[in-house]
Amino acid sequence: MRSKRAGSLTAVAVIRELLRIGAPPWRKLALAALLGVLGALATVGLLAGSGYVVDRAAFRPGLGAIAGVLAAVEVLAFLRGPLRYGERLVGHDAAFRSLARWRVWLYDRLEPLAPAGLLGWRSGDVLARVTDDVDTLQDLYLRCLLPVGVTVAAATLAVVLVAVVLPVAGAALAAALVVALAVAPAAAVATGTARGREAELRGRLGAEVVDVLRAAPELLAFGRDADALAAVEATDRELTAIARRRAWSTGASGAIVTACLGGAVTAVLALGVGAVHAHHMAPVMLAVLPLAAVGAFETVPAVATAALRANDVIAAGRRLLDLASIPVPVVDPDEPAALPLGCPQVAVRDARLRYAPDLPWALDGMDLDVAPGAHVGLVGASGAGKSSLVHALLRFWPLQEGSASLGGVPLDTLRQADVRRAIALVDQDAHVFAGTIRQNVTLGRPKATEGDVEDALARAQLADWVATLPDGMNTQVGEEGAQISGGQRRRIALARALLTGAPVLVLDEPTAGLDQESGAQLVAGIVDDARARGTSVVLVTHRARDLGHLDRVVVMENGRVVHVLDGAEAAEIHDPARSAPLDGAGAGHPAPM
Amino acid sequence: MSTTAVQRRRGGLIDRRLAARVSATRRYLFTAVGVGLASTASVVAQAVLLASVVSSVLLHGATLGAVAPRLAGLAAAFAARALLGWAGEAAAQRTGAAVTSTLRRQLLRHALDLGPVWLGGERAGELSLAATRGTSALTTYFGRYLPQAVLAALAPIGILIWVGAEDWPSFLILLGLVALVPLTMVYFGRESAARTRLQWRRLSSLSARFLDMLRGLPTLRAFGREAHGRREVAEATDGLRQTTLSTLRVAFASALALEFLAGIGTGLVAMVLGLRLLGGHVSLYTAVAVLLVSPEVFLPLRRAGAEFHASAEGQAAADRILSVLDVETVPHEGREGGQGGQGGRTRSPGTPAGPVRGEPAGGTRSRERAALGAHHVTVSFPGRATPALVDFSVEVRDGEHLALVGPSGSGKSTAIGLFLGFVRPTNGWVVVGGHDVALAEPALWRHLLAWVPQRPHLLHGSIEDNLRIADPDASEARLTRAIQLVGLSHTVQGLPNGLATVVGEGGVSLSAGERQRLALARAVVRDAPIVLLDEPVAHLDAHTEAALRDTLGPWLESRTVLVAAHRPELVARLDRVVRLGAGTRYVEHETVRAGDLEQLTDDVAGAKHQ
Repeated sequence: MRSKRAGSLTAVAVIRELLRIGAPPWRKLALAALLGVLGALATVGLLAGSGYVVDRAAFRPGLGAIAGVLAAVEVLAFLRGPLRYGERLVGHDAAFRSLARWRVWLYDRLEPLAPAGLLGWRSGDVLARVTDDVDTLQDLYLRCLLPVGVTVAAATLAVVLVAVVLPVAGAALAAALVVALAVAPAAAVATGTARGREAELRGRLGAEVVDVLRAAPELLAFGRDADALAAVEATDRELTAIARRRAWSTGASGAIVTACLGGAVTAVLALGVGAVHAHHMAPVMLAVLPLAAVGAFETVPAVATAALRANDVIAAGRRLLDLASIPVPVVDPDEPAALPLGCPQVAVRDARLRYAPDLPWALDGMDLDVAPGAHVGLVGASGAGKSSLVHALLRFWPLQEGSASLGGVPLDTLRQADVRRAIALVDQDAHVFAGTIRQNVTLGRPKATEGDVEDALARAQLADWVATLPDGMNTQVGEEGAQISGGQRRRIALARALLTGAPVLVLDEPTAGLDQESGAQLVAGIVDDARARGTSVVLVTHRARDLGHLDRVVVMENGRVVHVLDGAEAAEIHDPARSAPLDGAGAGHPAPM
Repeated sequence: MSTTAVQRRRGGLIDRRLAARVSATRRYLFTAVGVGLASTASVVAQAVLLASVVSSVLLHGATLGAVAPRLAGLAAAFAARALLGWAGEAAAQRTGAAVTSTLRRQLLRHALDLGPVWLGGERAGELSLAATRGTSALTTYFGRYLPQAVLAALAPIGILIWVGAEDWPSFLILLGLVALVPLTMVYFGRESAARTRLQWRRLSSLSARFLDMLRGLPTLRAFGREAHGRREVAEATDGLRQTTLSTLRVAFASALALEFLAGIGTGLVAMVLGLRLLGGHVSLYTAVAVLLVSPEVFLPLRRAGAEFHASAEGQAAADRILSVLDVETVPHEGREGGQGGQGGRTRSPGTPAGPVRGEPAGGTRSRERAALGAHHVTVSFPGRATPALVDFSVEVRDGEHLALVGPSGSGKSTAIGLFLGFVRPTNGWVVVGGHDVALAEPALWRHLLAWVPQRPHLLHGSIEDNLRIADPDASEARLTRAIQLVGLSHTVQGLPNGLATVVGEGGVSLSAGERQRLALARAVVRDAPIVLLDEPVAHLDAHTEAALRDTLGPWLESRTVLVAAHRPELVARLDRVVRLGAGTRYVEHETVRAGDLEQLTDDVAGAKHQ
């Protein structure tokens, strides 16, 4: 399923791709860089200038001789802070704007994959990726591109300045800078091979922490809490070991920068002393040389860090690109057909579907007809292919063979949005979002009036309960609808589907979590309601009591139809309390083993 | 003279609370500060040597040979500083890692001790953020900010004393500027800390919202509202950008103030030294040395300021973690050394199952003894107006099969939670295998229980991993048998890697029914004498359920079973049925002896019809 892995992309390709997606405001970045270079030069000027002033003054030339340079030094002293401030603020603004684009991009990439395409990606891992990896990307500007650009530009100008005073000192400073800029990042990245491993471990740690906290009931009940914590600690220990090695190499790279600085200062000073004696240089410039060297080195440590951060950025970028490169299972046609008007006939012919070439067929020669206004039940053992049929009808997953159509128009010639406008789904895992009941219900039709919403709640048999709530429809429901019961969650999902007014309603196990009687009442209500409105219903259920209200019941097994019964017949035969399983006498096993 | 009077006041509180929990903190901190001070000393040495060379050459015409030893000393001072920096980096990492690991361990252990009810709602997601991202921020706080903050208080004092000994006017200028630092920090520090806390909250809600949107993607797509989700994500992100930028404006402003003071300091010192050199009031050596050292007065302060931004996030995280650690758990009286919940591993696997195994070691009791007992239990959850259970009593005898039935919200799951020790009774007491749940160490009685939760959680890992959670030592044969018993063999064989197939967190790749049967298989692997079933067939079709009833029957036969369900049909033999009343306002319960199930279900239905 994941054909194009971003792992094969080169570092440069990853960065180019990230820049393309992030579309940073280049002008802001250029402005930040300019401010950064000016700030760095102000530091060099401040140090070198004050060195000159002091040296010169030692020969007591009178105030006039040093006044000009002194004034310049004071101006630079004032300017340096604001220049840096501007650089950082503008740079961060640019990075954050890019960050917002990356986040939305990732959402856009994941969206067409849900629900079936995201198999195997842990939600804890996705969370870690999104919050951490995307946050890491901002360093591409702030800790990689900007510092490197600023340092190289400022260091070059500082070398030119020193070379003007004493060419050989300029050469020495240049040599020290080159060594520092080349060796320090290399040392920092020396243990960089462990970075990929570190990111992997960090992801694992996140998933393990999520496991501990979410599966806490099971871990406690089975007495496995200590083991789960031990697993977290083992990962943590491995991460710490990597971090220790990294601290070692980061320290080494910092030490190299300081050593190069020491070499540069000592060398230009020694060369300066020689030049003064050889009368190649005015004595007053002696202190200027080492001070300019100190100034030139000020931003160099940031380059060593940049190399390290670049590795992180590339690793994070690879993982994000990897996640985003999962092929989209269903794409809209280039020239979509028009959605048929009214209540369309749903027809599935000889359909085959599977989720991967190495997985068994989930639908294998499936046929289904739902005439306009018909109410059809779909039963069968777990794994018989009921949910896959729902996936196919809603165009979440394509059919590999056979066809499905809506009012005679093949589904794959329609826009997915149009298909889902005609077919409203109440999924067995219907999600209730953090927010109010009203927000959750109006998701189906944002512009619904107050009356429409109340009507939908009443049809989903929720009105009485909502009326007892102090905040009514504005009551907050928590993460995964944790503040409400399973039955209420399902009814909210049902109200949401009813509010859309779609001509075809597909209900996947709408009564799970309700007691028999309430479930049967709910189904009877939905079917009566649909009958009155002339809309079609496809009801996936496992409860005999739910089937009595339907026109027709289709029994599925191994991805195809094995029996078709009328509703009353089905309710009679399929009742597990009374008789052997429906197909026990016919083909197949009593249990899906 | 501290950079950060405010941070130390506010942070000090956190530091002390942390130091009490993480004993290694102080030792690492001393090392880091010691290294920092030695590094400062080497900087002063560099300045002195450089100044002395310049002065000797300019004023006394010293030759290269004459100053060579001092140049060597200069190089040596730089080398020392390089090595000290290296050591400092290693020390910072160790400090951070020690604190982070310890705190994460304590946080998770404590969250588990507080139990599933406390962890419910939005807490699990928020805490996992605190335990990963939050503790990472702490690494920065402890490894970098804290030593730097202490250094920022000590190093400038040392340097100023040296400057004072060399040149009084420069000392006064620098002292005056340094004295301004706490004033600016008081303002900026407070502003920044408040904003960072806000940012942290936003970040938490951003990831909660993003996860919510990701989980809800199938629903969003089904309703054609993909754009709505995107807007939610974009709005949350943009809100974060604006908050962060306004935080940074303040955080950078404090850096600006420091940088400004440092710049002005160097500028003023250079000017005053220049003017006094003109008048011959100061030597060239002193002037160059003081000039070189003056930026170093501000450097530790600037470094601490730079780390402060990152540290504020760490402080906010520490605050959150500490507030969780401060929530008190109700101790079990029999608790030994805080080690809990490992009992399941102490019994030998594979011993024949039976009610006898329900006997705790060292006690022979009569067969009539209750395997499970709840006595006059009332449960009220904080923030809920009506109790979940009122004066609830039930006894399940060894080997008995008892069903709890009743409509949604009648407290069936709460009752199961009582026997697992997840729900604490407000009144009354609960007994499992002769142990009072409130008093006994969980390890003593939890190993007696196998549990099938209503909404099972799958760990990230293989199907096998998910089965072994019930018993890590279970043989391959036992796993296979459990899979067979719950009718998953066919499904498992159809998977690419069989039992080794990885299932996603939340069981993305398995249907709700398969997840539920996997949870049943877990209970089978657990092989415990008492089985608690919470709505075990909510997601199963009647067909599968009937098959399960046949295959599981013999396995359940020899065990004590408590099943809470709308439809307890899964359990073939039911000895008694206890009906919980409708509504949560109060609970009536009624025991039907040897009840005919259909009769009873009809009763429930009949009661609802009236």
